[in-house]
Amino acid sequence: MTENPTEANPLDPVADAPADAPTGAARDLSGARDVIVCEDVSKWYGDFQALDRVSATIREQEVVVVLGPSGSGKSTWIRCINRLEIHQEGRIVVDDVELTNDLRNIEKVRSEVGMVFQQFNLFPHLTILDNVTLAPIWVRKKPRAEAEEQAMALLERVGIPEQAAKYPGQLSGGQQQRVAIARALAMEPRIMLFDEPTSALDPEMIKEVLDVMKTLAHSGMTMMVVTHEMGFAKEVADRLIFMEGGQIVEQNTPEAFFSNPTEERTKLFLSQIL
Amino acid sequence: MTSPTDTSGTQPSDTHAAVSARVPLWRDVVVLKWVTQVFLLVVVLGAMWFLASQAGDNLRARNINTEFDFIERPVDIQLGEGIDTHPDTGGRALWTGMVNTLRLSLAGIIFATALGVVVGLARLSDNWLVRQLGSLWVETLRNIPLLVQMVFYFSILTTLPRVGLDTGPINGWLHISNKGISMPRVFIADGFYQWLVVVLIGAAVGRYVHRRRSRIHDETGADTSPVLWALGTVAAFGVVGLFVHPAFSWLGGVFGAVAGVLDALPLVVPQILLCGVALGVTATWILRFLAAHRSARGHLSLTDDDWFRVLFAAAASLAVVYLMVRWTGLSSWILNSGRDLFEVIEAKFDVDGAARPFDAMRPDIVQKGKFPNYGTNGLTMTLGFAAVFFAVVFYTSAFIGENVRGGILAVPKGQTEAALAVGLTRGQVLRRVVLPQAFRVILPPTGNQYLNLTKNTSLAVAVGFSEIVQVGTTVFNQTGRTLPVVAIWMLFYLSCSLTISVIVNWFNVRMKLVER
Repeated sequence: MTENPTEANPLDPVADAPADAPTGAARDLSGARDVIVCEDVSKWYGDFQALDRVSATIREQEVVVVLGPSGSGKSTWIRCINRLEIHQEGRIVVDDVELTNDLRNIEKVRSEVGMVFQQFNLFPHLTILDNVTLAPIWVRKKPRAEAEEQAMALLERVGIPEQAAKYPGQLSGGQQQRVAIARALAMEPRIMLFDEPTSALDPEMIKEVLDVMKTLAHSGMTMMVVTHEMGFAKEVADRLIFMEGGQIVEQNTPEAFFSNPTEERTKLFLSQIL
Repeated sequence: MTSPTDTSGTQPSDTHAAVSARVPLWRDVVVLKWVTQVFLLVVVLGAMWFLASQAGDNLRARNINTEFDFIERPVDIQLGEGIDTHPDTGGRALWTGMVNTLRLSLAGIIFATALGVVVGLARLSDNWLVRQLGSLWVETLRNIPLLVQMVFYFSILTTLPRVGLDTGPINGWLHISNKGISMPRVFIADGFYQWLVVVLIGAAVGRYVHRRRSRIHDETGADTSPVLWALGTVAAFGVVGLFVHPAFSWLGGVFGAVAGVLDALPLVVPQILLCGVALGVTATWILRFLAAHRSARGHLSLTDDDWFRVLFAAAASLAVVYLMVRWTGLSSWILNSGRDLFEVIEAKFDVDGAARPFDAMRPDIVQKGKFPNYGTNGLTMTLGFAAVFFAVVFYTSAFIGENVRGGILAVPKGQTEAALAVGLTRGQVLRRVVLPQAFRVILPPTGNQYLNLTKNTSLAVAVGFSEIVQVGTTVFNQTGRTLPVVAIWMLFYLSCSLTISVIVNWFNVRMKLVER
């Protein structure tokens, strides 16, 4: 639900973004609004500190890729942003709404923020079409016909309209993940969170999902992506954030990050993965 | 296989033929399979025939009567409760027992399910105390034998105060004593069946309303609550029906005419009809079966197992035909039963126009000699019923609770997270995502619990509740027809269990997840 209808809707499913639209460091987003603000966010699981005073600001239309070794807190952080995990200290403000124990705030944030999971988490008892229309019909109270029309347009956009009547169990992993992206987009979110979207996929299916994500990034969506796909990070990201031990170690543009890392831990990490 | 159009070439077919020619019979898998099937069939049928004839000889030699004549003969039995406490025939007594068993099982299934869901959810609660209480309930009740629980509840209930002419707690409205609980009773009166017709029409209209409201919801997205509207429609018809139901008294004539037609039909009609149905159904099944196993090129590939099924189906239908032709008694029984049924329905409609569909009575207490007792006016739950009811409900709820807990835990956490992430509320997540998936896991084992509950009601003999086993015991003690009564018991429980199984399986198939 965009408050300003005259503003170009970046999520218009039929408007294909030009492939050469500027992203990455070529863009200047300094004038853009802050949509996610984290201030000293900390979280513990028992004695283990998963997040240690994480502070970061993400601007509208910015594509941020979060990197780091496993157990570094990337997923925990991204899951805190739509309250699937509850942070214990600090502040998280999403689109001017602070995440507190207020159920109304949580629901508002969740309907503005789309999320894509590592394990897809499609609803196996519903068809692909019903998976995509479920939230628009029951949360946005859209007429079914309108919701289905929108869902078909989204499925078209992620390249699998012919699968609409099938069930998730009948699709390949890559197709399922693309449906999951369409499901998230159906709520017309302002922000998309990706939690290792390609980690559970066979190598030949990774590309089809990354392609959809690239198109989405070019269309101006604000994205926060936890991934190990360095190619995607180099090509699409405006900024890389490197985490370790629940802390943000370093953040920079992709060029600077890969060619000239400042921190020792970043250098070690890069030497291990590149 | 070796048709000229066969593109696979002749070389492999020749090799195949050469190989199969060399296999001796005792090593040929196909031959062995068929021999085993036929041998097994002969052995089973032979054993059955042998046992039956031996049993018949022995029974005759010992003068044990296996006639079912007691069903029509008068008996002197007084039952504790039921539709007829002084049945005039053995059949009527058994029927009363069956109705008591069915009442107990149905009420038990409903309440055990409701309680089981509560217990299962309690064990998953975020609240420590609720969770512990749930565990305590489950661990205690499922680990004490059902019979012990039954006797325990019965002995507790007998400590209730003795019934007097003015016992309360609300004299004339609610009585609680060691004779049970008695409260006002609403019962079906003469006008009920005419009223039922109005309600059935209401149900049809309600179905239409439900569809319409659903469609409006789909088109506009507005909250149309179709279920509420449908129920409201039926309720409205029910209320209106209280006043207009005599308008349907003419239906009695229609049913009477059907009964007359059935009476006049010659025996050959049901014979032809049933033979036709048996042959027709089997023939369509076989044709479909063959069509389903035919490849696109028209090649029929049936396994030996498939062949056996086809032959068995054909043989079964021929057996039905033989039975219908040779045993004319069966056809006349079908006709007569049909006629009787429609005559009974006709009688239900043949009432005074002003008759009310429902009536109500307050519970009463009557003095018989020195002992006051509940009369027949009120709705009375006897101690026996209560003891068995609470025992089976509590006992089964523990098991159903575990099924519910397991079913909900079986839904991956990611489902809830994904549903929350697209903005559904907690209630919507449960209703639209978690429960539909949990239900698939919960249903099959819960169906088993329903079967167990129904069969467990036979333990009620321990507290003297007049269910089918208790009544049957009294009947064979009086008539000496032990085997026939036991046969009736077995048939009764078997049909109950099969009915439940069919219903549960039907749901199960409908709910199955589609994969691949």
